[in-house]
Amino acid sequence: MNVGIILLQLVLLGSPSAGNDPGQKIACHFQGATFTDFCEAIQKETGITVFYKADWVKDLKVNIQSDSISILSAVNLALSGSDFKAYIWHDNLVVMPRDALIDKLPDFDTQTNGSATSSQQSAGISPSEERYLTGRKQDEEEIITVGKPGKIKSGSRVSVMGRIKDEDSGEPVVGATLFIEELKTGIATDLSGFLTIVVPVGKYNVQFEHIGNKKKHCQLIVLSEGSFTISLKKTVIEMQEVVIYGDKQMNMRLKDAGLEKISMRAIKELPMMMGERDILKVSVTLPGIVSEGEGATGLNVRGGSSDQNAFYLNKIPIYNTAHLFGFLPAFNSDIIKDFSIYKGYIPAQYGGRLSSVFNIITRQGNRKHFTAHGGISPVSGNIVLEGPIKKDTCSFLISARSTYSDWILAAIKDPDIRQSHAWFNDLSASVNYDIQKTQIALFAYHSKDQFKLSDINRYQYANNGVSLSFSHNYTNLFRSEFSLVGSQYSFSTVDNHEVSSAYKQGYKMGHYEAKLEFKHLLSDQHSLNYGAGMIFYKLNRGTVEPYGDSSFRKRTDLTDEQGLESSLFISDAYEINRRFTASLGLRYTLFTPLGPESVYHYQPGMPMEIKTISDTVLFTKNKPIKWYSEPEIRASLNIKTDAEGSIKIAFNQMHQNLFMLNNSIVIAPNTQWKLADYHLAPSMSNQVSLGVFRTMPKSYLETSVEVFYKLTSGTPEFKDGADFLDNPLPETSILQGSQKAWGVEFFLKRSSRKLEGWLSYTYSHSIIQVNGDKDWDKINGGFAYPANHDIPHSMNMVLTYHVNRRITFSSIITYQTGKPVTYPVAVYYVDGLPYLDFSKRNAYRIPDYFRADGSITLEGNLKMHKLIHSLFTFSVYNATGRANAYSVFFRTENGNIRSYQYSVIGVPIFTITWVFKLGNYASE
Amino acid sequence: MQVNNIKPFLLFLAILATSCIKSYEPLISSGDVFKVVVSGVVSDRDGNQTVSISLTSRINSPEPKPMPGCTVTIADIQGHRFPMTDLNDGNYHGFISPSYLVKGNAFLVEVTTPDGDEIISDNDPYTTGPEVDSVFYTLKEIPTGNPNKSTKGIQFYVNLDAGATDSRFYRWEAFETFEYHSDYLREWYYDGRLHHISPPDSSLRVCWLTLMVRDVFALSTQNLAENKYTLFPLHFVNNKTARLVYGYSLLVNQYSLSEQAYNYWDQLRTNSTNEGGLYEKQPLSTKGNLRNLTHPDQDVLGYFGVSSLHSKRIFVSNVENLELEYISPCTMNPLGQWGLADVNPKLFPIYLLGDFKGWQPIIMAKSCVDCTSLFGINVKPEFWPY
Repeated sequence: MNVGIILLQLVLLGSPSAGNDPGQKIACHFQGATFTDFCEAIQKETGITVFYKADWVKDLKVNIQSDSISILSAVNLALSGSDFKAYIWHDNLVVMPRDALIDKLPDFDTQTNGSATSSQQSAGISPSEERYLTGRKQDEEEIITVGKPGKIKSGSRVSVMGRIKDEDSGEPVVGATLFIEELKTGIATDLSGFLTIVVPVGKYNVQFEHIGNKKKHCQLIVLSEGSFTISLKKTVIEMQEVVIYGDKQMNMRLKDAGLEKISMRAIKELPMMMGERDILKVSVTLPGIVSEGEGATGLNVRGGSSDQNAFYLNKIPIYNTAHLFGFLPAFNSDIIKDFSIYKGYIPAQYGGRLSSVFNIITRQGNRKHFTAHGGISPVSGNIVLEGPIKKDTCSFLISARSTYSDWILAAIKDPDIRQSHAWFNDLSASVNYDIQKTQIALFAYHSKDQFKLSDINRYQYANNGVSLSFSHNYTNLFRSEFSLVGSQYSFSTVDNHEVSSAYKQGYKMGHYEAKLEFKHLLSDQHSLNYGAGMIFYKLNRGTVEPYGDSSFRKRTDLTDEQGLESSLFISDAYEINRRFTASLGLRYTLFTPLGPESVYHYQPGMPMEIKTISDTVLFTKNKPIKWYSEPEIRASLNIKTDAEGSIKIAFNQMHQNLFMLNNSIVIAPNTQWKLADYHLAPSMSNQVSLGVFRTMPKSYLETSVEVFYKLTSGTPEFKDGADFLDNPLPETSILQGSQKAWGVEFFLKRSSRKLEGWLSYTYSHSIIQVNGDKDWDKINGGFAYPANHDIPHSMNMVLTYHVNRRITFSSIITYQTGKPVTYPVAVYYVDGLPYLDFSKRNAYRIPDYFRADGSITLEGNLKMHKLIHSLFTFSVYNATGRANAYSVFFRTENGNIRSYQYSVIGVPIFTITWVFKLGNYASE
Repeated sequence: MQVNNIKPFLLFLAILATSCIKSYEPLISSGDVFKVVVSGVVSDRDGNQTVSISLTSRINSPEPKPMPGCTVTIADIQGHRFPMTDLNDGNYHGFISPSYLVKGNAFLVEVTTPDGDEIISDNDPYTTGPEVDSVFYTLKEIPTGNPNKSTKGIQFYVNLDAGATDSRFYRWEAFETFEYHSDYLREWYYDGRLHHISPPDSSLRVCWLTLMVRDVFALSTQNLAENKYTLFPLHFVNNKTARLVYGYSLLVNQYSLSEQAYNYWDQLRTNSTNEGGLYEKQPLSTKGNLRNLTHPDQDVLGYFGVSSLHSKRIFVSNVENLELEYISPCTMNPLGQWGLADVNPKLFPIYLLGDFKGWQPIIMAKSCVDCTSLFGINVKPEFWPY
């Protein structure tokens, strides 16, 4: 212990303990003195402070007569007969109950710790090798000391700021948790790896936990306000300590809840259709989230439509998250550090989408040394390069990905397809600068998809974005972040199906955002988060232009749109007591569509059509067209029922000003986004949810049951048969209705074992009703109908079995009720030809969906010294070869009506992927 | 105009060659409620106008269900009323002189069903339309799954040049007529007794068959800079049937439509050409312009419209550079070992291969000697050019 403390002080304070040595001998003569007097005397004489709680010693009388006694012995002598004992602490002494602290170190080497551990690496072996070796050792008990002695009275509360970094790469660790056993409380690091906690001065047993890193037990000694940095080792032996946490596990201990998290490490072994890790595809195995189907980009979260989800990649909004029509994600999953999904309680700093926020944070690059890794699958390849620009403070990360799938196209029989071309790429680059109190992050992203079907059709889309953020810690309790984001989503298409109507169209949407956010810890009970943001949207819906010399297509200018979304938000996480934690957030958004625009007024009491336009109002540039005021309340209450269980109640209010107008059943790649405008009002949702969470540490299980009810107003729906493209007046084809969604979600997860995984089941409904006053303001006759994504039963099982460190088996099994569909119910004849009469909207369902995938992952050898480590994944998607119906349709053939089901994937698909990285097994 | 094209997005699936379409029979309860269907077009052609009234039938047992016994009246907005005569086959006939069909006039139909329900249509305005500009074809090869094989044939197109006429919406109907021959003359047949016709009967050798092309062709020029269109695709005729062997005639009827009528026909087209692809629209019940006044909750299907009607007929023979791969439907089977005694009397008469010298023990399908057995008529249509 001596060694530990002294070293700690050397490290932390950098001031050697010249005169203060509790071991030094003093002359000591006291008779009947109070303990307080005794201690004051010692301090006067030697400069050594004795910390104690007055209550404990108020009855003690000190009787010591000695000419040479060590200070420690003297104090202990004075305490003899009581239940207390003195411990050396920072060259001072602290009085604690006996055996409260471990005063003997474990037998193995003590690792020194503190903010400067990084330089402790022995020469000759790389950090990863070192970690590889030390990773096999027993847990060390480390001691972290915060603050300076003597400044604060014992018992008073002080703030402690911690920073958690990855030991190997030096990058901050997001979402790592600190749990204080004595206080039964904890906190998680934010997106920069910081955490702040307010605790009484004292000594605590704490543990740090994070997916993909080794759990670490430490002693945390808090002397006064201060900060510490700690490094966590990568998990080496245990492959997957935790797969998913969030709502579930964190909720037990932490107040920051209401989210799902997926760790990239955890999905490494899961079978994937194209052999690429696709975190979005994994997210649909979580309760409450379903995919729109194979070949579709969209996700439906808790009964919401697919445009109600916000995707942020390092703050850059991504408006099309897929490559190759939804088969691959639009970003390289290998660079993702943190992936969080908010679907219940959404913190007040987020807004603008009704259902969920998918927040994706990429890694910042290794701050210690240069490294590279990549992967090759049948359709695409990727590479990631990263390293320090300036060691420990500045790093870069570059990722590139592209496809070479054309070779497959060339082998296809269909001549139209043989002459076709499908291609994508994405690039991202980031530079991060991180000094003690300030972090600056610059991130740029680009993705592009191109696709050409013979001469018939050409299509391309691109996401581009840059984000710059600057964060600073003023004090332990006060932190700010300022960020600037610019992003553009664009697509262009050429349709040359019929020469006379051939057209081309381009579409662009710009998103320019500035946001200032403060985190302010008022006390150990209140932590405030407040700020303001502003988003300027600039949409150019493009012009439908004739393509080719023989096209008669009329030029249709779909006009530009502009809008300004300004928000203020404040939230307080209030820890009422150990049992109750409440969060209350308020967000106020003011949205205004801006000119230039011509707003049409229609004759009252008439359907909105070109014919019924009664007036045109011109708005000049940047002139507000209408103001939409959008106050929102976000509230949650967490009740800890016991050490292993909790109940969470949340109320969440959201608004949405930007819609994806989509007439097909799923998101087609060329769907357009559209701002709320004079006629099309923002939509609003209210959600209440209640969850019961429970961990069963002995069986390594955690489980939860959540119910939700969500009511949405202003859901835009297309009128029957209406089309969006070519229509410069969207209000003539859109109606707004209400949407009701409710459900119950079950989740069971086992982790940290050879066999692990999770099982989720969701029962839910999503019902839409568009029932205006007039006939033309109704859809489906004004009756409620199931939304296209109304999936009552959804069940997923994800299992991973680690045979040993080099071989892992994995599987995903998915079952879902078939999607709703409109079927023909009757036949009639006009001029001798049969035609179909259809049922009420979505009155039927296509057959149920079932899929089983499997994979084997083989790691390369575990040799320590090698240049490249390899990993092979053999996976089979849809192992049973079941032809799941994507849609059911009816065709009139020679006067007969035939029904068919269309399956996107009707056979098993095998893929082999090779992933490589510089270094050995454990390198990252 | 189909804007959202599906095929490209199927491409990637085709790459994987994993997508598939297969027959599927969903369980559908048709219920016992049948809707009334009213359809009819008042045209400016020759004054003869027809309105058809029928009921819907069950999806799993589709059949035409004509509805006679209604009282049908057509009225225009100028106050004229035209009562229609019940032909007792679900059709109602009347005469409205083309002189009533002038710009600015609009017509509606009133129907009283035998149950006493009053059904009425919206007024459909008359729009003038141009003559059919031209109907023509080009050679076309349609690729098949096998890269070395394709289906050859001709693709018909219609051009539109509306000039000064005012409609922006059109619909075409196509009727094809073709000549075909039976492979043999009727000479030997057996119906319990052997017959020899001498000289052989050639009256059933040559037939003409007229069929309506089973597609909806609707066009809007509203999004076009000019009220014209070239190469509007009609149907495709492949080289494997008798159609292009002896002569092929195509009659194209061009109707001008109101916007409402166009929306109706376009929706019908969308519903019947559904391909089930990735990004398809949901089908939906096609609402026409009729409503039931007695029971407003009961939908009435169909469309009652007013159109200008122009027609054009073209004749096609000896398509250049098109190799015909016509395979005759005539099949032959040898007689069993007991000869004519083997023949089941239910099949009488049977036709036998032979010539003036005698017959052979080979049974020919009726279509080998009787072209009317393939639904054609053996009377040359008056428009036939030779």
